[in-house]
Amino acid sequence: MVERRVSKVIVIFFIILAVAVSIFPFIWMLANSFMSEDQIFALPLKFWPDKLFKKGMWDNYVEAFSNFSFGRYTWNSFFVSFLAALGQIIVCPMAAFAFAKMRFHGRRAIYTLLLMTLMIPVQVIIIPEYYLMMKLGWLNSYLPLIIPSFLAGAFGTFMFISVFEAIPSVLLDAAVIDGASAYKILWRVYFPQATASVATLFIIAFMNNWNDLLRPLLYVIKPSLFTVTMGLTRFQNQYTTKWGLVLTGSVISVLPLIIVYIFCQRYIIENQMSSGVKG
Amino acid sequence: MRKLLVIALMTILAFSAFAQGASEKKAEEGPITLEWWTWDTGMIEQNQSIIAQYEATHPNVKINNTVIATDGGAYKTQLSVLAQQKALPNVFMLSSGDIEEWASNGLCRKLDDLVASDPDIYKKFYESMFTSLKDVAKTDYLPGFPFAYVSCDLFYNKDAFDAAGLEYPNENWTWDDFLAAAKALTIDKNGDGEIDQWGYYGYGRYAEAQAWIFANGGVLTNNTTHTFEPNQNALDAIQFMSDLVNVYKVAPSPKDMSAIKYKTIFPNQIVAMFVDGGWFADDFRKNIGDKFQWGITRVPVGPNGQAKVTYGWPDSYVISPFTEHAQAAWEFTKYIAGEGIGLDQFMAGKMPAYKALVESDAFVDMTQQPYGDMQLFRDHASDTFVTSYTQGWSEWVGYGAAESMGLNGAIDSILNGETTLAEVLPSLTESINKILSRYY
Amino acid sequence: MAEKQKFKWHSWATPWVLIFPTLVGLVVFRLIPIVSSLVLSFTKWNLITDPKFLGLKNYVDLFTDPDFWKILGNTLKITVGYVAGSMVFGLLLALLVNNKIRGMNFFRAAIYMPVITSSVAVGIVWTRILGPKYGILDFLLKKIGITAPYWLQDPKLALWTLTFVQVWKMAGYYMILFLAGLQSISHEVIEASIVDGATPTQRLFRVTIPMLAPTSFFVLTVAIMDAFKNFELIYAMTMGGPQNATNTLVYSVYLNAFSYNRVGYAESIAWVLMVVVGALTILNFFIKKYWAQPLE
Repeated sequence: MVERRVSKVIVIFFIILAVAVSIFPFIWMLANSFMSEDQIFALPLKFWPDKLFKKGMWDNYVEAFSNFSFGRYTWNSFFVSFLAALGQIIVCPMAAFAFAKMRFHGRRAIYTLLLMTLMIPVQVIIIPEYYLMMKLGWLNSYLPLIIPSFLAGAFGTFMFISVFEAIPSVLLDAAVIDGASAYKILWRVYFPQATASVATLFIIAFMNNWNDLLRPLLYVIKPSLFTVTMGLTRFQNQYTTKWGLVLTGSVISVLPLIIVYIFCQRYIIENQMSSGVKG
Repeated sequence: MRKLLVIALMTILAFSAFAQGASEKKAEEGPITLEWWTWDTGMIEQNQSIIAQYEATHPNVKINNTVIATDGGAYKTQLSVLAQQKALPNVFMLSSGDIEEWASNGLCRKLDDLVASDPDIYKKFYESMFTSLKDVAKTDYLPGFPFAYVSCDLFYNKDAFDAAGLEYPNENWTWDDFLAAAKALTIDKNGDGEIDQWGYYGYGRYAEAQAWIFANGGVLTNNTTHTFEPNQNALDAIQFMSDLVNVYKVAPSPKDMSAIKYKTIFPNQIVAMFVDGGWFADDFRKNIGDKFQWGITRVPVGPNGQAKVTYGWPDSYVISPFTEHAQAAWEFTKYIAGEGIGLDQFMAGKMPAYKALVESDAFVDMTQQPYGDMQLFRDHASDTFVTSYTQGWSEWVGYGAAESMGLNGAIDSILNGETTLAEVLPSLTESINKILSRYY
Repeated sequence: MAEKQKFKWHSWATPWVLIFPTLVGLVVFRLIPIVSSLVLSFTKWNLITDPKFLGLKNYVDLFTDPDFWKILGNTLKITVGYVAGSMVFGLLLALLVNNKIRGMNFFRAAIYMPVITSSVAVGIVWTRILGPKYGILDFLLKKIGITAPYWLQDPKLALWTLTFVQVWKMAGYYMILFLAGLQSISHEVIEASIVDGATPTQRLFRVTIPMLAPTSFFVLTVAIMDAFKNFELIYAMTMGGPQNATNTLVYSVYLNAFSYNRVGYAESIAWVLMVVVGALTILNFFIKKYWAQPLE
């Protein structure tokens, strides 16, 4: 009992350490969003925001939302990222189930190709991709941001293959004996088993699309369609950067991600409980 | 789950139809539509109000402004693709570093006929900037319309000069005057053995190192043979920068300053003098406020330099060579470079090409720093402008994302004491010539 | 992908229906650009004119450029450091937050924060911590009489410092990947081992880690691929310097394509990059059967 308590204390100590080490840039960013421009890079370093709880505290936020329509950009980013992530959690398990549990001609070849696409940095294919989108007539729309992410989710497919492989075949055999169709086995048996991974993939896909800058810059031209990351570029030109607003914008752009993370987190936990009950 | 899939697919389809509908805009009869491309995404709203005014007085012209950030090369990539498709916007901003390559590929409309058709043009705009643009592009024709000029100048902390009992720098300063002041301004205030205020800080950045090089009559490239051939004056200037750090110890090395952004070193009073683009006047107005008094003057003239030779570059609009509406594009360009805009479109310290703006009382704003020193930017208009642009410039100079490489990287290494000018020059020359040989 | 099939439980068309969307996406949005980039790697192209065919010249230029070998070396070093660091810290963090403690949701979100914090902000903060003279670490070390090295300005150290910051930023990401795997380990197995009297350490090495093998394989593969995509942080912190010490293949691709207008050359670097990652991935798959057999 004592040993248990000691180990719990150690665990808590390390968790708090990890949290402290992880969270300070965000705290710094947050603090800086309440500082005047000259304080951000002041020497010696200023930790305490000079405008906190004083007049003008929300100046940066007011400017970001009123003069730079950050509300609009946040909504746009949410729309794009949500659809792209939604697509991935539907399409990826389908493909992964086929790859992990079925045999068909060309399985290995297609799988290898898919994996290959995973290792390509965006800078490598962006120019040919831009021409492709131009030929498709998709420039100046969200389609290039959503459809490829929707359809070509190599990461998610790869992730679900490893998840489905880890699920005991007993489940499959039992379902087959019950006479369930392949689709039913996927959606009713395997998919529910992988809730934690579905939530994880949703977080990752959402985050990747949310933080993408290069593609939105190339494909979205209309200011009313700008995403949050594009909004951040509005605080700088080639000669100068408004750091206060950049950091404020960064805080604004991170908040929805935290909400999505915490929301998805529930499912990661729930899965644990439900499998516990079943066991 | 299947329901969810169906809903998702329908959303996508519905949205794609909407997005396509939005992007299909037919070129209609009647009014001319001009496409206008700019890169300052902070100006989206201002541009709309300029357009509204222009369209009110020009009912036959519709303007469509596209603003794309330069981040990740997004602006240039999209513009380049349109160039390759021969579908360039009618009027677009083009960086001075690209103009020569674009002009040599026939992508800049020659504007000489349009200039000739307007006898008043050089009454309204500074001819020196037009000359400089031709110089930048190395063309015998005018490849674009410069709307502003950026010069590189010396910023100094007046309070620090006062405290040291020194005269403020002036236009007649030599490098010896500069060095003497820098020595007097390098101070260990609290006696802990660490310098708290340096006389000067600079590194290999083009707007700093080249300001010194050109102030000494330096030449970097031979534009007949298209090779990197820095003359002795240029080498002397680099050596002078190095000596400030390594011999006279009146300037910190770049690596010692790397904890903070170079732009914040002067406002934090770590240095008393600083050389960079004139637009820092705008930055310093915002970030120094009334913390201390500061001023601007010319970069001190080197032993082999000439007075009133200023390093800088024009910011320009280019008109598409493919447009049928060159005249309309020209009229609009004159408007957005001239009467259509106010001083609020410019950062303080940039020189508008439109004389009326520079000569207006508001340009030398006596209500805020650097007060009367803003006169310097009026004086610059009659200077001889020099630049270092060639094709492949950003690669060999080490510009932007390549800042740690090329000439910039080499100068930083010298200032850091990791190498010497003599040691690095042969390999630097070889690598720069390799870059230049790809273009010429 | 071992599959024991006892009888036919689906038609031949079923797998094709399931992979159809992915297949379309793969061909249209990935293979077409990839093949185009291969073709472009044999050309000289500045984007504003039509590409000119050069044959193998880009590759010859590349392989005879001494900087290229340095950049390739840097890339491989970062990969080793990044993969090792993110696997170890990712797993440790996952084990740590897999405990049942009040407020764990908050802790997990907090540890995930660096992943979603913008590289620009991360770059500024870490430069201010690590920088000489005015850096926080320098200040603290000076108090105890240690002179800090130039973490990011010393060509010998910069690469490792950068790798460290990258691992720090991404550890939370690998944590949630491992966590998803940990969560799917069935409780019966763990409880059975407790009944058998296994100590926590034995449980970790005999049960948890072997059970995590498929996840670890997945995480390893992903980490290898991510190691090569390290662009934003280099841009925010070192711009490839000093003296090319932190220049990597992907940073070179970016410079050549977007700064130097050398699209063809950039694509040839990109293809070297792809061959290297591809080789590592295949190697990983080849050795998979020795260490990551799914447990059944």
